[in-house]
Amino acid sequence: MKKNRFILLIIILILSSCTSNEYWKVRIEVSQKPAVNLDKFKEFIITDFFVKKETKNFNINNELKDYFATELGQTLENKISSKEIPLEKEDVFKDEDFWKNLSVDAKESVLFTGSIQYTQETRKALIKKLKKEQESPFTSESKFAQRKFYTLQLEVYLIDTQTGKIVYKRNFRETKAYKNPNQTAYFAFFDLVKNIKDKLFAHMLGIKKIQERYIISN
Amino acid sequence: MTKKTIFSIILIVPLMFIISGCVSSINQNQLSYGIQAAKKDLWNEAIFRWEKCLKSNPNSASAHNNLAVAYEKKGLLDKAKKEYEAALKISPGNKHIKSNYENFKKARENTDDEKK
Repeated sequence: MKKNRFILLIIILILSSCTSNEYWKVRIEVSQKPAVNLDKFKEFIITDFFVKKETKNFNINNELKDYFATELGQTLENKISSKEIPLEKEDVFKDEDFWKNLSVDAKESVLFTGSIQYTQETRKALIKKLKKEQESPFTSESKFAQRKFYTLQLEVYLIDTQTGKIVYKRNFRETKAYKNPNQTAYFAFFDLVKNIKDKLFAHMLGIKKIQERYIISN
Repeated sequence: MTKKTIFSIILIVPLMFIISGCVSSINQNQLSYGIQAAKKDLWNEAIFRWEKCLKSNPNSASAHNNLAVAYEKKGLLDKAKKEYEAALKISPGNKHIKSNYENFKKARENTDDEKK
C-alpha cells in the first residue's frame, strides 16, 4: 500500500508540474519613432528666436542658441551650425518665402528657431503652522512666505530651407517655484530650459522607454 | 471492481496525460529554447524558436504572447499587435497576456498622441 501511495504522489507531482503557468519578467526598450525624420537634412542650423519679452541682466536669445547648439551637437550626427536671422514679427514662421529666400549656402538643411517668453512672478502668502499640543493656543503661528515663480514658454519650429515649410512645431511651458529669495532669473532659466530640452529631444528625436513584459511558458 | 482494477485505472489515466504531454514536448522545447534565448537577450533566436513553435502548434497562446513581446522589442509594432491579439483570442483570461497587451496599447497611444 505504501508503494502505491508513493507512485500516486509521483504522478501528482508530475501532473502539477505540467500544468504550472510559469512566467518571467523581461525588460524591453520600447522604441518610439521620432516626430521628424532628420536624416534627410545634412545640416542643422540654429537661428535666432523671437523674444516676446526682453529679459533683464542676460540675453535670453543668445543663451538659448548657445545652449541648443551644445546640446544638439552632442546628440545629433548632423552638422550643427548657427546663423543670425533677426526676427521682427511673431508670425514670421508661417512666411515660407522669408525662409526660402534666406541665403543659406547648405542645401538639405533645416533651421531651428522659435519664439520665447520668460517671466518672473513673486507670490506671497500667510501660511498657518500646525500647533503642537503643549503650545499655547493664544500665540499666532502664521508665517509670511514668499516664493519666486519662473515660467519659460518656448515655441520650437524646424523649417526646411529649401521649401520654407515648417517640418516640426511644438509648444512647451515650464514653471518652477523657488523658496530661495535670492534665486536669480539666469539660473532658473537653465533649470527650465533643461526640462524643455529633455521633452523636446524625446519627442523630436524619438526615445527608447524601458518597460516590463511577461514571457510565459504555458 | 477489484482493488487491482481501480489501481490500474488510477495509474493508466495519468500516464495517458503524460504520454500526450510528451507528444507536445517538442513544441514545449521550442518555447523553452525561445525563453532561454530571450533571457540572454538573443531576441532573433527567440523569434525563430517561437515562430517554429507556432508552425506546429498555432494555438499556443504562450508562443503568440512571447512572439509579440519579441516583435515589440524589435520595434515591429504591427506584428506585435497581431500576436497579442491572437494570444488573447486563444487565452482571453490570461492575466499576463492581458497586462502585456494593455501596456503595449498604452505605449502606442503615447506615440500616436505625440505624432499628432
